Amino acid sequence: MGAFEYRQALEIRDVFSRHGVRYLFIGKSGAILLGYPDTTQDADLFPDKSPINTRAVVAALRELGFSLSDAEAAEIERGKDFVQLRNGPFDVDLVFAPDGIERFGDAWERRVDVEGFPVCHPDDIIASKAAANRVKDRESLPRLRAFRDYWVAQRQRGSS
Amino acid sequence: MNAARSMMASMENMGISAEWLADFEAASRRPLALRMRYAFVRTYKPVLDDASFRAFDSTADYRDWCERNLPAWLGYGRV
Repeated sequence: MGAFEYRQALEIRDVFSRHGVRYLFIGKSGAILLGYPDTTQDADLFPDKSPINTRAVVAALRELGFSLSDAEAAEIERGKDFVQLRNGPFDVDLVFAPDGIERFGDAWERRVDVEGFPVCHPDDIIASKAAANRVKDRESLPRLRAFRDYWVAQRQRGSS
Repeated sequence: MNAARSMMASMENMGISAEWLADFEAASRRPLALRMRYAFVRTYKPVLDDASFRAFDSTADYRDWCERNLPAWLGYGRV
């Protein structure tokens, strides 16, 4: 399997949209969509955990080419908080309950649209990494916070 | 030009180093498709990538599993 590609991100966007999935890009993949220059491996998606949405996620993943057994699909539909998928055309982590974010609806209200991709606000990406408090997050947070400040200043400059 | 200089000075006053600022500026000039091509790399992560599917009841369970099972150098352990 090769690296995650732009065309695969487009497929997620289009297929998830067709199935009516409510989700956000989160983590470093979300930051990269916002313009953060760094490297990562997989796409982290934060879907709404409502039953109707988890069923739509399963249908969308199958259409994208993920080979989910009925048992695996049921685990997603039942609303496991964290699902790691390595059985499709690219690697995806489904993070239904990211650290540091209370409710999907709050993050959804703050979302940023990047060429049709729904992305968590940088403050939410930072909050989730700060709350996770892993070694790799600690290392990346100062640069990510600097990027957030840069991104906010750019937006303010663009709207003035 | 003065506006750009003023912007750079303001960013540096915010504590953003000149090196990071140059990175951010360069990235902002790239189209999304190119940013993604530079950003996503495929690197095998031992243990983590050895199963096709894992599901955890809670994110805390996932973090615990990472700490117990992944090599420390991957950086998934909590501080």
